Amino acid sequence: MNVPTESPLVLAGWDFRQTPVELRERIAFSPEKVREALTAMRQEGLLAEGVILSTCNRSEVYGVIGGGLAGRDPIQAMTEFIARFHGVPHGEIEAAGYRFSGIDAVRHLMRVAAGLESLALGEDQIIGQVREAFRLATGAGATRAVLHRLFQKALETGKRVRSETGLGTRPISIPGVAIELAQKIFEDLAPRKFLILGAGETSSIFYDLLLAKGARNIEVVNRTLARSQELCRRGGAAFPWEELTARLPQADVVISATSATAPILTMEMARKAMTQRRGLPLFFLDLGIPRNVDPTVAGLENAFLYAVDDLQEIAERNRLERQNEIEPAMAILEEEISKFVAWLGSLEVVPTITSLHQKFETIREAEFDQRLDQLTHIPEGDREKIRLIAKSMVRALLRSPTDAIKDEPDPGRRLDRAEVARHLFDLDVHGE
Amino acid sequence: MMEIMWGQTSLSAITLILYAAAEGTSIAHLRTDQKSYGKATSLLLLAGFLIHWVALYVGARAAHSVPYRDLPASMSFFAWVVIGAYGILLLKHRESSTGPFLIPISLLFLVISIFAKQNGHGDLKDLGLKGPLFAFHVTMAIVGYAALSLSFVLAQLYLIQNKQIRRRHLGLLFSRLPALDVLTRLHRTAVAIGLSALTVAAVLGLIWARINWGTYWDPKVLFTFLIIGIYLFTLFPRWIGWGGKKIALLSVTGFMFVLFSYTIVNLFISQGHTFK
Repeated sequence: MNVPTESPLVLAGWDFRQTPVELRERIAFSPEKVREALTAMRQEGLLAEGVILSTCNRSEVYGVIGGGLAGRDPIQAMTEFIARFHGVPHGEIEAAGYRFSGIDAVRHLMRVAAGLESLALGEDQIIGQVREAFRLATGAGATRAVLHRLFQKALETGKRVRSETGLGTRPISIPGVAIELAQKIFEDLAPRKFLILGAGETSSIFYDLLLAKGARNIEVVNRTLARSQELCRRGGAAFPWEELTARLPQADVVISATSATAPILTMEMARKAMTQRRGLPLFFLDLGIPRNVDPTVAGLENAFLYAVDDLQEIAERNRLERQNEIEPAMAILEEEISKFVAWLGSLEVVPTITSLHQKFETIREAEFDQRLDQLTHIPEGDREKIRLIAKSMVRALLRSPTDAIKDEPDPGRRLDRAEVARHLFDLDVHGE
Repeated sequence: MMEIMWGQTSLSAITLILYAAAEGTSIAHLRTDQKSYGKATSLLLLAGFLIHWVALYVGARAAHSVPYRDLPASMSFFAWVVIGAYGILLLKHRESSTGPFLIPISLLFLVISIFAKQNGHGDLKDLGLKGPLFAFHVTMAIVGYAALSLSFVLAQLYLIQNKQIRRRHLGLLFSRLPALDVLTRLHRTAVAIGLSALTVAAVLGLIWARINWGTYWDPKVLFTFLIIGIYLFTLFPRWIGWGGKKIALLSVTGFMFVLFSYTIVNLFISQGHTFK
């Protein structure tokens, strides 16, 4: 477990790897809870800024530490708050999660947004969830300079990883592979006719998936008509088992997921259907164990047959390919992390004040000293005195903004002031 | 005259370089799927296409005729139309994966055209090959051949994609190539355009031959109608209950006849198409 350092950026999280699902459920945040928790944490002075990312696989609180900690460990204070907020014993969540600060927190968020921390490596749902978490926090007024920039950077990096590496290109689930294959035979699935055989759990998963893909023509054939009617309640048509032979030639994609112990789609049935289709392709997805479709059907002209083992094998191969993409993805991440860290570092008190003074000194030299040198009628000794007066005037002008940054006790506000100073006086931002 | 020829050859050489570079970037685009390569391909092809047009125009002005009265120029024009057809595919269907397979056809014909020109095959006697009827006949024939070249590439891509899906080899090409039904649709459109243009060209050619030669007969007619017959079946596959792979193979066979008709028949069999 990481101990927080001097960095103002902190993270406490619980994900599927380290936290049992029962506990994750108890510390999950609904959008309302997110707003409520962020407001409370800021009011208590624990955080100056905060974003809560809560999905079914993770709950994470990102923050910039606030001014009301009174010497307490900021992450400890944050986890105590979360325990109190959800009514969970602190010891229980303390032991289950992970804590990061500074560059490690930045790296973690970048990894999350890139899908490297996801259960299905490289999945792209997470980027939408990170965006939503950021939107919620911004809506609640809980983000300012640091988290605003961090989350924007993380979202950009997540997109960059997906476009420049093969991390999320190929599906790694059986339904994902099946849909990808179907879309390589029929590009647009919406107008295609689907025939689902069986009305069990697998059929139901595919039925939902097809509806989500916009499929309008779904027919379900099952031995028990009532069950297929139940499955079709959201659309589609249910047919009794006897209709199978008649429905087959009409279908473009057949998804078979029955518990039959012998093939229900024989070579003879498939051949007849293919003859009636007169050259149109037919895609058989055999998800039954044992097989529902006679394997020799694969040899028929314009018939494509994939069994569950084939899909499994492709999914596995794609998973391995994704593993190979971790390294190039990490290279992109590290590049973006160092840019962000350089920017964050520039907001620290010392570099900001140094840049501010340098900027004013440069202006003084360019605008004042050079012109003074042109006034040759002033004796050298007097010119030196005038120069010293100008220098002390610059120092006097900068005293108030310098103190406002340096002496601010709230770290989050201190960063804000540094950011404002950099913006107002156009100070160099490293790493951009 | 020599200056014009030299200018035309230089323009053709620049076109060749641009098309070759476009082939390189289109392969890189297919491999990496990076948009920058796709954009570079489009720009290189556009530049090549425009310079190619200037080269054809300069040649036509010099010959005081259509830019493809001689064999090298007709091949060059063919190469230009092929790139034009690919441009339409890009603009209308955003379909770039055919590029690496189609650009080489254009490159091949452009190279042959440049070499043939260098070897003096472009010097013509005046055979009275002029007039709008003749110009329209040759234009339609070349447009037809170019569309059928595109259909040939699409049929090949269909066969590749079909094989990948059947053999469960879901590699790079599987990801990059379009779906089978898209390839079928594009193929059908290319054949429809090619077939229409070729039919019009054949009819105009027959009329022109009747007027100028006093006969309809030329061996080229036989091959053209054979080609039209073959492609008709690919356009209406359900007449014979065929589909998918068989139609793609039939299309490839059809294109072999096109190549035969365009080269061997023109040069050695047909008296009226030798460009001599």
